[in-house]
Amino acid sequence: MKMFSQSSLLFHFRQSLRHTIRNVATFSKLNTKYVFIGAGHNVTAERVNEFPSCFSPTLKWLSGSSQGLAHSIQCRLLGSQAAIEPSASDGLTVEGIIANRWTILDETEGDWKSHAAAIAQSIQLIKRRLQWKQLLVRVELLSAELDKPDIWDDPVHAGKVSREHGSLMGKLKEESMKSLARMRRDSKEKELRALLAGEQDSCSCFIEVQAGAGGTESMDWAKMVMQMYKMWAQQRGYGVTVVDEMPGEIAGIKRATIKVEGEYAFGYAKAEVGVHRLVRISPFDSGKRRHTSFAAVAVIPILGDGASHVQINESDLRIERFRAGGAGGQHVNTTESAVRIVHIPTGITATCQNERSQHQNRASAMAVLQSRLNQLEMARQAQMNAEHTKSLTEISWGNQIRTYVLHPYRMVKDLRTNYEVSDPDSVLEGDLDGFILSYLSASLDQVGYGS
Amino acid sequence: MKLSLLARACCSSMSPVSLRKYSQNQVSQHRRPMISSQIKPQIPLFLRPPIYSLTFSDLQKWQNWAKTLASSVGSSFQDFDHGPDSTLLRRELNWLMEDAIEDYSTTSRPGGCESRQKVKVRVDLEELYGLWKQRIEERRPFQYLVGCEHWRDLVLSVQEGVLIPRPETEMIVDLVCELVVENDWFKQGLWADLGTGSGALAIAIGRVLGDYGRVIATDLSPVSAMVASYNVQRYELQDKVVIKQGSWFEPLKNVEGQLVGLVSNPPYIPSDHICGLQAEVSKHEPRLALDGGLNGLDDLVHLCYRASSMLLCVGSLSSATTITNGEEQCQFLVNYMKSDLGGNFCYVKIVSDFAGIPRFVTDSPRAENHNTVKDGALKTIDHFLTLL
Repeated sequence: MKMFSQSSLLFHFRQSLRHTIRNVATFSKLNTKYVFIGAGHNVTAERVNEFPSCFSPTLKWLSGSSQGLAHSIQCRLLGSQAAIEPSASDGLTVEGIIANRWTILDETEGDWKSHAAAIAQSIQLIKRRLQWKQLLVRVELLSAELDKPDIWDDPVHAGKVSREHGSLMGKLKEESMKSLARMRRDSKEKELRALLAGEQDSCSCFIEVQAGAGGTESMDWAKMVMQMYKMWAQQRGYGVTVVDEMPGEIAGIKRATIKVEGEYAFGYAKAEVGVHRLVRISPFDSGKRRHTSFAAVAVIPILGDGASHVQINESDLRIERFRAGGAGGQHVNTTESAVRIVHIPTGITATCQNERSQHQNRASAMAVLQSRLNQLEMARQAQMNAEHTKSLTEISWGNQIRTYVLHPYRMVKDLRTNYEVSDPDSVLEGDLDGFILSYLSASLDQVGYGS
Repeated sequence: MKLSLLARACCSSMSPVSLRKYSQNQVSQHRRPMISSQIKPQIPLFLRPPIYSLTFSDLQKWQNWAKTLASSVGSSFQDFDHGPDSTLLRRELNWLMEDAIEDYSTTSRPGGCESRQKVKVRVDLEELYGLWKQRIEERRPFQYLVGCEHWRDLVLSVQEGVLIPRPETEMIVDLVCELVVENDWFKQGLWADLGTGSGALAIAIGRVLGDYGRVIATDLSPVSAMVASYNVQRYELQDKVVIKQGSWFEPLKNVEGQLVGLVSNPPYIPSDHICGLQAEVSKHEPRLALDGGLNGLDDLVHLCYRASSMLLCVGSLSSATTITNGEEQCQFLVNYMKSDLGGNFCYVKIVSDFAGIPRFVTDSPRAENHNTVKDGALKTIDHFLTLL
């Protein structure tokens, strides 16, 4: 039996998905001729935007589609593209897969043929149940009718035509688009899980943000970035706790650490490692000048119990109570019980002050320290391997990965993937998945599908 | 400052077997309420039922008011008497909300609530305003406000009249743990916590002892004894930890010479220093738990002096730990224990707290001597069995 690698399976997935998109594209061609302004269509275009990179050729056409004239030409191009059945390198197509009549085994089976066949079947089924081709013909007909300049001379007839057209459009949009979109999302999710196959990807993690040079403005930016991650994590259903926070003198934070708990937290958040740049008119500048500030983001996996942890010797640790002043003990009643742990051999430190008892601050700081030491060890090992493969790209720490512009125009752009959106507010409110997914997909594309 | 006098483990007249029996008797004997039933412990805020409901916008209004009030403090308390600064007060405000609001995590999330949405809380709005006013204007300790203190992995009920356990005291439990983990003698023996306050040390130690280990805790203050009993109940340790009201060793007369370990956090602040302490302490916490007499050493010396007769064994296998005011008292006690009480304490040393202040005077067998302790303990049992 022919063996297929995981990436090959993935490729078939992609192919079938591409096909679904083509269907969407064919539809949008029809749509635009007559009722392009419909909000639903715009939504679709945006949706497509959420799933970048691997669909990028198709995507470009689609996202371009909201721009008037050029649009219909593009769609026509698309239409002609759609005529060529997309196929994998080994010649497999959706139709081909179906024609092969592969047995569809239980979903839990690890047989790629079953999966591919099942998806192909679903696509076919959706089309058949909707009587797709007839539907398209009918819509085209009705649209042509509606286009006639004298149609409204007979209001009753016009109303009838327009109602049917509307209902069919709804059917196309609601039923097919939504189910296709859902299917795509599901597959995409699976595809991502395949992307997140790294050893630590499924772990929870710490996210750390540090303000760059530039005083209050950059501390405020660091706080905004931290807020963005808190909201992102909450929206994804992760548990978020603040471990350490060093507030700025006037506003913002100098640095902060949060713990993000949940499946694949590290796998997703690792896409955020690097330097984030903000351009805006600083509210802290009385001269209302434009400022550029930076915040660095680090993400550290919290290894599970099964993973190999760096062994820490108690005797290598120095535990200090910081911000403790005066005589302590009975003299002082304070709810402040911040603890700093120094790992003497490496000089790595961890602090925690947000827990309500010293004991728990110590436990939290210890967890951070353990993760930092684990990460250091992993980096060391990676570097050792890199000497052989010499392919280790520079550690992303020093790198600018994303720019957020609030003035003079509004845009957030990822410098690694060129993925960009024009609504910085939503991004700063935690709508980061587009960026994260595009980066993750792109990094897979770099590795390549070939086995 | 605390005093923890650990164990003597040899030349005892009693084996762990009889001790076991004994302590169980003790427990059943004292399950009867010895503490006047008129005073009732206050229920910590976070345990009260969320019977009040207010709109999210009212809550926000209160929060903004409280935040502004906290910010207005700046560093003035800190400069004045080393009190809390506004950063700390704002954190306390979050914790107050955490304790007062039933579904705090949703409420605190940005956009988690609409302004007209009802929020369930454990105190009414008026009291929320009142509580925070007390915190800022009267400097009432945060822990009394919410009726609890998070200490180690425990949440202990506290109220006016009970000393709020300090973070430094947590370390005594670590010192006890070191002994208990490696040595069954200490794990299964009878311990005492003198001047227990909220019961913090007694409960934390009770939780690390073995099946036969017991703790008797004493406090002169009826309020403390009552609150400590309440905390013992909350952690379901009634079978392990007994609270007795009375001065230092007084309630322990019938266990004289039978304790394997002793811990204490006695008052150690010199009398005339007390009025200069931060307002939270000097105006609100019980003087009984703070005032250690002219030089702060009255109770410490008394405890050290009496400890040797109370512990099970004296000599090379004894173990004792005291917590103190700082270096000066530590040094004094070390000298006192070594010279005046010489022979009773063999491993006296000073241990610093996490702030680097010499805080504990301890006389516990070092790890390398643990085997000796074990041997000594076994010999005692042998001796006892022969006598039988």
